[in-house]
Amino acid sequence: MNYQFDFHFLTGNFGALWEGLKVTLQLALVSNVEGLILGFGLCLLTLSRWFFIRWPAQLFIEFFRCTPALLQIVWFFYCLPMLFNVFIDPITMGVLALGLNLTAFNAEAYRAGVQAVPREHLDACVALGLRPWQRTLYVILPQAVRTALPVLMTNGISILQQSALVAIVAVADLMYVGKSIATEAYRPLETYSLIALIYFALSLPIAQLVQWLERRQDTALAR
Amino acid sequence: MTAPLLVAAQPQASFVPDSAGGDFIQLRDVYKSYGEGLVVMDHLSLDMRADDRLVIIGPSGSGKSSLLRVMMGLESIQGGTINFQGQPYIDGNARNQGKPLDVRLQTQVGMVFQHYTLFPHLSVLSNLILAPMKVHGLSKAQATEKARIFLARLGLESKLNAYPSQLSGGQKQRVAIARALMLEPKLMLFDEVTSALDPEMVTEVQNVMMQLAEEKMAMIIVTHDMHFAKNIASRVVFCANGKVVEQGPPAQIFTQPKEPRTREFLEKVLHLG
Repeated sequence: MNYQFDFHFLTGNFGALWEGLKVTLQLALVSNVEGLILGFGLCLLTLSRWFFIRWPAQLFIEFFRCTPALLQIVWFFYCLPMLFNVFIDPITMGVLALGLNLTAFNAEAYRAGVQAVPREHLDACVALGLRPWQRTLYVILPQAVRTALPVLMTNGISILQQSALVAIVAVADLMYVGKSIATEAYRPLETYSLIALIYFALSLPIAQLVQWLERRQDTALAR
Repeated sequence: MTAPLLVAAQPQASFVPDSAGGDFIQLRDVYKSYGEGLVVMDHLSLDMRADDRLVIIGPSGSGKSSLLRVMMGLESIQGGTINFQGQPYIDGNARNQGKPLDVRLQTQVGMVFQHYTLFPHLSVLSNLILAPMKVHGLSKAQATEKARIFLARLGLESKLNAYPSQLSGGQKQRVAIARALMLEPKLMLFDEVTSALDPEMVTEVQNVMMQLAEEKMAMIIVTHDMHFAKNIASRVVFCANGKVVEQGPPAQIFTQPKEPRTREFLEKVLHLG
């Protein structure tokens, strides 16, 4: 291979890359907020004692788990507007698709956490006179988050990676900007390597943090 | 420990109207079963005065814990009625399926469980002030002040900011008792609170309960510790098959039980103990 690496052309594109990175971060952060909040709500629905609440919630989860994320995004961009005649700006549509996907996966993570809360704690909540919503908010949620945190964070990173899929529907995220630069400059090797490095640099610290948390939980359990 | 536990929490006067009559708690014909086979309360009737300390003993499956769980509103009954402080409290035939009718009365019952139920994500202080703030509407400062008083009397003031995982089993149960007392209950329920403890920690928890007894707290205690039962009870109730077989002062029940079934049970557990 006698390819001549040339990174100089990129200097002129830093502005564009920065704009793309901002969109990617926006997609990842807002989807995570959405997924963390709605995921817990959805988890509670799947644990409902009533079939007609539990069943649709479970169906929602299975839909997002059993179809490709790329297809979900394409569906949100092309089919949802046709069905309901709504189209908000591309980033919002992207956040909606990614966030609901994450909601489904986070709901499963929360569920394991909620089910790990000892039955006696729920009895103690009744004995203390806490109402059901207070019990959920002050006793169940904090304990469930603790148990589920490593999985929630792993899901969070994976949605950062998956956010690159919105490039396919022309949302100007980091991936999309990279693709444009690579095509314009005929320099795919340098451009895509740099893009990969950026995604990697964003995710690695969080992945490390997850490992650290898991180790800490293991030692806490061993105690 | 000589400082009273309840001084700030409960003016002595509040007990007077209740203790005058025997109508602090009245269980009438209470029926509860799990499906067809297992009847845990079989038309059970029982009275309690406000200065009573009932200790319920009996073979396992005799409905001892169920009685406490029903009083706390954790489980429902399918028949009969329960009055609490002269008011209808639980009605097995009511439309709410035999759960407490009055939330206000329910908050006047406190309960401590066999297993540790301190919330592990909250410090000792936060465990104590959660319900007073959320249920009774105390300010954080008021609740904290109250928590300090209770912890000091239990000799646990140094554990204020500790987390449950940093406490011994005995300390956890004492904090659990303090947490229940924070809500100023009129009745305390103890469901085998020392069963899960290492032997050397049993006494510290029992001492707190003895102190409450001296301060005339109404209590219903389920325990397998007959020695403790003898010491703390004003009345011992022997239950079997969901019925009250015999009840009376501890001296009588433990030395001269009338019913053969009581005698048989006591012979078994006392020889084992």
